[in-house]
Amino acid sequence: MPAAAKLHVVVVDDQLTMRTLVRTGLQQIGIVNSRDFPGAAEAWTSIQTHPTHVVISDFNMPGMDGLEFLRAMRACDTMKNVAFILLTGRADKELVARAVQFGANNYLVKPFTVATLKQKIEQVVGPLS
Amino acid sequence: MIQAAAQPRRFLNPQDGYVHVQVTQGETWVTADAREVLTTVLGSCIAACLHDPVAKVGGMNHFLLPDGGGQDRAARYGVNAMEILINGLLRQGAARARLEAKLFGGASVIAGLSDVGAGNVAFAEKFLADEGIALVGGDVRGTRARRVQFWPVSGRARQLAVSDGRTLAARELMVAEATLQQESEAPHDVELF
Repeated sequence: MPAAAKLHVVVVDDQLTMRTLVRTGLQQIGIVNSRDFPGAAEAWTSIQTHPTHVVISDFNMPGMDGLEFLRAMRACDTMKNVAFILLTGRADKELVARAVQFGANNYLVKPFTVATLKQKIEQVVGPLS
Repeated sequence: MIQAAAQPRRFLNPQDGYVHVQVTQGETWVTADAREVLTTVLGSCIAACLHDPVAKVGGMNHFLLPDGGGQDRAARYGVNAMEILINGLLRQGAARARLEAKLFGGASVIAGLSDVGAGNVAFAEKFLADEGIALVGGDVRGTRARRVQFWPVSGRARQLAVSDGRTLAARELMVAEATLQQESEAPHDVELF
């Protein structure tokens, strides 16, 4: 897995403010290649056609929720190996267990610190620096 | 799943026949029950009252960012407080595009203290603008604390001035600092690896 500067991350959340916060955090830990989308449908084509190492997706979204998005990715040959971190509003054991069952690599509880964001990504891709 | 950390106190007020839901700092309440009225008392704190006039559902949150949202940790907390409210409304049938907001609070009630209230108002107004949520009313800034009532089904709101808000404002700041500290230390208590 590439180091921070070469890592490509996709952020999916229906709230622009949350997407901006996550991307700001990514920049602070050296991840400069990130793209954001308001929903899974919008992110889908971009992930298929552009380099993507990690997807950080909200769970609670209108339309396709985070778990449905994860299941769809894992069922798609071109996306099944992309790392997936689920953003949740609380540390819900049942939700995290379902996410793991569907192939999530990690989870992140909001509100989170930049240090936690880094830690969660490193648990998936290895050291960023 | 999004869930408010604390649950407001509810009681039936025999004088007006409404169930009063007291939304205190850190709490959020969403309802489509026309018998409920949401109430809160604000110094520097902000209460965002959101309402969908078609789905006839509404809700209120109540938060304070001790540095006015100017630092990452506080901004994250504020965004989360707004998201809890919005997601609660969407779950009860609201549509994001129809949401209307009224903002209350953000007063500067302690002379000489940095204007935390104004920073909170700026944060909330920017959040609504960024998210495309119409700000249709409310009352913010000023120097007096406020008691606010919000009828979530109709979207109607009213406020009364509170005579001495200084004690209230000092308590709000203490709670906000403690909450942020707690949030930053919140355990990710589900172990995956």
